Amino acid sequence: MLRFIVTRLIAMVLTLWAVSFVAFAIIQLPPGDYLTTYVATLNSNGDRVDPAAIDALRRQYGFGEPYLVQYWKWISGILGRGDFGQSFEWKAPVTTLIWGRLGNSILVEGLAVIAMWTIALPIGIYVAVRKYSLGDYLATIGGFIGLAVPNFLMALLLMYLSYLWFGTTIGGLFSAEFENARWSLPRVMDFLSHAWAPVLVLATAGTAELIRILRANLLDELKKPYVVTARAKGLPEWKVILKYPVRVALNPLISTIGWLLPALVSSSVIVSVVLNLPTAGPLLLRSLTSQDMYLAGAIIMLLGVLTIVGTLISDLLLAWIDPRIRYGSK
Amino acid sequence: MRKDFGLGLTGAVALAALMAAGAPALAQQQAPMLDALVESGELPPLEERLPASPLVVEPVDSVGTYGGTWRSALRGGLDNAWIARTVAYDGLVRYNREWNEIIPNLAESWEVSEDSRTYTFKLREGLKWNNGTPFTSADIAFAVELMSEPSYGAGTFIKNPNNPVTVEVIDDTTFSFVFENPNGLIMDDLASVNGFTVVSLNKEYCSQFYPKYNPDAEANAKAAGFETWELHMQDRCSWATETIRWANPDLPMMNAWMIEEPLTGDATRTTFVRNPYYWKVDSEGNQLPYIDRLSMRVSDSLEEITLMALNGEIDFQDRHIATVANQPIFFDGQEAGDYRLGSNVPSTSNTLALQFNMNHVDEKRRELFQNKDFRIGVSHLLDRQEIIDVVFTGQGEPFQVAPRPESPFYDEEYAKQYTEYDPDAAAAAFEAAGLVKSGDYYTFADGTPLQITIDLIASFRSEWVDMMELMQLQLEAGGLDIELNNIDRTLYYDKRPLGDYDAQIWQGDGGLDVVQEPRYYFPANGESVWAFRWQAWYNGANPEIAEEPVAWAKEQMDLYTQLRAEGDPDKRTELMKQILVIGKENFPVIGVSLPGNGYYIAKNNMRNIAPQMLHAYLFPTPGPYDTFQWYFAQD
Repeated sequence: MLRFIVTRLIAMVLTLWAVSFVAFAIIQLPPGDYLTTYVATLNSNGDRVDPAAIDALRRQYGFGEPYLVQYWKWISGILGRGDFGQSFEWKAPVTTLIWGRLGNSILVEGLAVIAMWTIALPIGIYVAVRKYSLGDYLATIGGFIGLAVPNFLMALLLMYLSYLWFGTTIGGLFSAEFENARWSLPRVMDFLSHAWAPVLVLATAGTAELIRILRANLLDELKKPYVVTARAKGLPEWKVILKYPVRVALNPLISTIGWLLPALVSSSVIVSVVLNLPTAGPLLLRSLTSQDMYLAGAIIMLLGVLTIVGTLISDLLLAWIDPRIRYGSK
Repeated sequence: MRKDFGLGLTGAVALAALMAAGAPALAQQQAPMLDALVESGELPPLEERLPASPLVVEPVDSVGTYGGTWRSALRGGLDNAWIARTVAYDGLVRYNREWNEIIPNLAESWEVSEDSRTYTFKLREGLKWNNGTPFTSADIAFAVELMSEPSYGAGTFIKNPNNPVTVEVIDDTTFSFVFENPNGLIMDDLASVNGFTVVSLNKEYCSQFYPKYNPDAEANAKAAGFETWELHMQDRCSWATETIRWANPDLPMMNAWMIEEPLTGDATRTTFVRNPYYWKVDSEGNQLPYIDRLSMRVSDSLEEITLMALNGEIDFQDRHIATVANQPIFFDGQEAGDYRLGSNVPSTSNTLALQFNMNHVDEKRRELFQNKDFRIGVSHLLDRQEIIDVVFTGQGEPFQVAPRPESPFYDEEYAKQYTEYDPDAAAAAFEAAGLVKSGDYYTFADGTPLQITIDLIASFRSEWVDMMELMQLQLEAGGLDIELNNIDRTLYYDKRPLGDYDAQIWQGDGGLDVVQEPRYYFPANGESVWAFRWQAWYNGANPEIAEEPVAWAKEQMDLYTQLRAEGDPDKRTELMKQILVIGKENFPVIGVSLPGNGYYIAKNNMRNIAPQMLHAYLFPTPGPYDTFQWYFAQD
């Protein structure tokens, strides 16, 4: 097991390095750079820009240097000093911008994952055991609607309905008086009173998917001889199902946990924009359109880290939940 | 439209006289929220905070009462324009509410030398930054010195490559701008949104980041995590209305409200609180502003802002939400949301300016697009009324890219020429331009097919897509093969110097600000996409692509050069008229329709807001309508 973790950690570092290299390259692919965007904005506002000043800025920002040199500067800053570079648009170090937002992202998306599993697991088991019952059909229809409605549309609907019915706008994660307060019980309550909307929106789509996968897997398992044996030995029905077939059926779900984290972050970008959540999503979108490359690079890097950490977690969970899997021992 | 300096001076003198006579009688009052601070000694009494001659502002309707929070919203964190418009319109001078005169502000009076090269300003005696330190000529000189630094700043008039400026400090309240060449437009620049640059830097605070004044500045910048002192300076002490400026509460300001909760990258709200040292009073001597606080929701979601407005959670706003599409719902929601709609007159002359690239890299296309007959033909093929009815619910009228009817430069012939829908005239014009019809579409005389690609950015104005799709149908019905190319804004700009595009569109800027924004009347600046290489020749920018313009454009450039150097406003007007006559004659850009009036929404209890405002970038509405004298009615 230890050896497995060590080899995985080495692979993680290599993967991260590759991610950073590709991320940085992709950000630089579009024509122009941040300065062309900036100068264009100034120009359209009627400001005349001295070409010498632009050249000076270009040098300052290190544009025009070969890709590898720029990449080296960037990556050595991150590794050496934890310095992710400057956000051109915010004219501030990237590190001061992302941590708070990333924290919010992980919080909201973590809640969404928990909500997703707590809703999906019982329903998935229920619809497998009670195949073709009324409950199965209702859950299936509900799930498919959740899957089919685009997240942003659902967010818009929620906002509009809450305005129409309750006379409140539900954007953001905190009320004005709690935005900059310290964490406290009232602030947690306030957070929950706002967070239910994005959590609900983000959880619905994934829920349907989970229910279907769990149902299909479980249906396969339920017919197998070991289930019949367990039943024949007189185990109570709930124990028969939960102890053996459910554990096996969870296997494919757990091995994809690693994809859950980045998928949630990327699927939540538009939801975050619509609901105005102070998460990393809108920041990423904005930085990509304005070619604020160090900011975008930092966020993409961190998404990469999330994916890789998620994969590691899912591997470990898998080993724990499914005793048939034995890593590294041949 | 042009400002008469003599008049401005008399105005200033009159004001000073009023103050001298009236000051003792005026019962000067301050906002109740400051009383406790003064009593506890944290803040000096009002007399010591106000300058010797505070600026007296006549309220729009009535003298107001203190208190309240003005709620509005920023789109995303980088919406500095809204802050510029609401908080920051305080330059040396300002425009009056009719936008036809320049009036005193921080500067009490000014004088212009005979040769229009030296402008001498007299600041109010006893002006103070919001931290209580004096605002003097030294602060102005510092700003100019810093902005002249080759490695620092971009896009300010101080750095204008054509006409650099230096400052001569005469005493604490008197200084001169000395330009290398005569400058006839600087007063307009100083009164516009660009005028904040010179009054936005406090020397005492900002010099600590400048190696010239602080030898440790470079080291301090490194220690603070910045590569260079310039980046550190930008972060701590940015100029004008750059967004980052509102992230540092320590940075001294001269505005009516100062930073309370800073606008940092992860802020979801930013707030401003009254500046206890604000140097303006109402006609009864009450210190302004009336409103205690501004609270701006930072939202990436236009949907959220729209719903907030409908829900009555916005006290005044037009930016972002006052779109054509939203107008019916805002109209219907007035009673429920307890707000009213007011009217904005846009400064743009046109909903869409279609610009054919006269400097195309392809010889044949260049020749065609330079041919006036071709452009006349295109113009006659547009059924403008259909576009107005379908896209703008009937608001507006057929119009070329020409000065608006409200402008003193309005010329009906310019505005209306070639606007009637007339396929026969179009066919004749295309024939005159040497095009040949073969099958459904026109081709070049030698039979080469002619497909014209029009670039557009859908994300900037959503109605452009609807307009262009209609125009595509109309032009194709008339025999022009049109392809629409929806691209990103960056690419849009990157294509310009390359010269390999057929046509681009934009809105019709310069409808009211004719002199300041003449991009469609002659090849004036980088936004003159229809003649990008000619403007490069004129401005000395991108010399590698510059091309000598045709005779008529060169004549216009000469006239504008004279205009820029002309001190006499009447002569400037005369020169601009000559430029416009040539513009009309050569018809470089095709317009569609005059935009209908825009609107703003304001809570019913918010008072002193002008019912109709002129709306422009350079005239940063509602700033010139004195937001600091708006107030909330108690009843």
